[in-house]
Amino acid sequence: MNGATFVESVQRSGLEHASATAFFIRDRAYSYGELLARVALIRERLETELPASANVGIVTFDDIDTYAGIVATWFAGKTMVPVSSSHPADRTLSVLDQADIQVCLCSGDIPRGLEGASRTRFIRIADDAPAVVPRPPHIPSGSDTAYILFTSGTTGKPKGVPISHGALDSFLRAFFAFDFGFTAADRFLQMFDPTFDFSIMSYCVPLSIGASVYTVPNEGIKYAQIYRMLEEHRLTCAPMVPSILAHLRPYFGEIDLPDVRASVFCGEALYDDLVTEWLRCTPNSRLINFYGPTEATVFCTAYECERSSPRKTLNGIVCIGRPMQGTQITIVDEDRRPVPQGTLGELCLAGPQLTAGYFNNPPANDAAFFVLDGTRYYRSGDLCQTDPDGDLYYCGRVDQQIKIQGYRVELSEIEHHVRQLTGIKHVAAATSQDDGGNTIIHLFLEQFAGSIPDLLASLRTKVPAYMIPARVASLPALPLNNNGKIDRPALARLAARPPEQ
Amino acid sequence: MSTQQDILRRVQSVFAQVFKDPDISISETTAAKDIPEWDSLNHTILLAAVEDHFGIKFALKEVMRFKNVGDMCVVIERKISG
Repeated sequence: MNGATFVESVQRSGLEHASATAFFIRDRAYSYGELLARVALIRERLETELPASANVGIVTFDDIDTYAGIVATWFAGKTMVPVSSSHPADRTLSVLDQADIQVCLCSGDIPRGLEGASRTRFIRIADDAPAVVPRPPHIPSGSDTAYILFTSGTTGKPKGVPISHGALDSFLRAFFAFDFGFTAADRFLQMFDPTFDFSIMSYCVPLSIGASVYTVPNEGIKYAQIYRMLEEHRLTCAPMVPSILAHLRPYFGEIDLPDVRASVFCGEALYDDLVTEWLRCTPNSRLINFYGPTEATVFCTAYECERSSPRKTLNGIVCIGRPMQGTQITIVDEDRRPVPQGTLGELCLAGPQLTAGYFNNPPANDAAFFVLDGTRYYRSGDLCQTDPDGDLYYCGRVDQQIKIQGYRVELSEIEHHVRQLTGIKHVAAATSQDDGGNTIIHLFLEQFAGSIPDLLASLRTKVPAYMIPARVASLPALPLNNNGKIDRPALARLAARPPEQ
Repeated sequence: MSTQQDILRRVQSVFAQVFKDPDISISETTAAKDIPEWDSLNHTILLAAVEDHFGIKFALKEVMRFKNVGDMCVVIERKISG
């Protein structure tokens, strides 16, 4: 990075490594020269069609134009708003509407149900469009918005998190401070949909240094594809969510990946026993457990897992370490007062990686941000405590938010849609862990007489696949606590029981 | 019934059990994209159930090349006949 902004770094990668592989997608390599040629084409079209400060939608596919579209949006000085081609149309329409997307890049078929988007035009750049001369990128100011990602919202409406170029650059600097010694020869795994912010690390880090990004195909079974990519292409940096390890666990004895030198985890609880086994599979790898919400740009605390010495854990879960360069933390009680060291409280984050606030959402901002001693903090909703060394331990949530394969899921969003679909008022979602440590969503409905497959099919039109409950049960009445509220601990116990055969 | 047909029929019975759908119909070309519930988690459960049913164990190098049910059946046939 050398103090340059991300867009300048990408431009330099393109000039210095024009023939080197920028992306490897679906068994084809694309050089930096090819990438920047597509970027120039897409950028020209965006600048012709849109006013200067517009948000640009990008329907994400596993193809070069999706990534070229992201870079082109930034080179044009605009804001990138990715929407997944596999998410339900209702959800995507809400995002396009909230972000006022007039032009949406779409390099594949327009997903079903989006044709009706009234204000949005979908643009596809022809593969054989005549080349245009690449121009130097627009250099953004630190406060210009780089991207807006939408996360699960409790009311059924996704919440937009805008991240500035300044925050993105701060994140990249803090990541490079770990001194992995990455060079243009490194090969990075990119297993995430670009609507998920861990993807930002997986492709922005390599692009900023002229290294290569290997994307994992969307079809098929993800963990099997990930292993195939790591092995066949001898990838050197593997950013993954921990649930991938849980899936690979039955095969650890067969895995030997000596080329991996950085295993980067984030997004979910990382179990210490899996770390021990994964380090055996990757004999030359450093392994860092990162933590952070989308609101603080990908991740902002880190704990390096040593190979030999005992690691810091709580209930078998690896600690999330200390703030990364630039990030400040405090842990507060319910009245937002800092708690003494070692006391459980809500983790709050501050620093240059923090979002300026949810997009057009004052109520959510009032609830999530506050100023303490002149510093603006974000309430993560995560319950944490520190040890005497200052290392952080994740201890759960203050609310009903959970993680599925790294994705944030508000259980209340699922409940909201089920209530709307069924007309049943008493609906509750709960979670359990299976033998492999994977989180499973259970849905309980009061006196539901309809068809469960039909209900799930309808729910699929409202929420992404990872939010679909794995188990559904109708109860004569949902258990209530003394306050007449749904007794969630009782439902969690119900969910933890083995299913009836 | 040929061995391949027999294997496919038995694999279908495992699918019916894992996906809780007694009427599920699969062919050799059925892939994860054809069954909405066939995600990574259910894939793990499915493979374990198939392994139990046939008394075999898949290797990761085999699993990572499964593109559809047919690929799985080929490996099953090789393992139960070998």
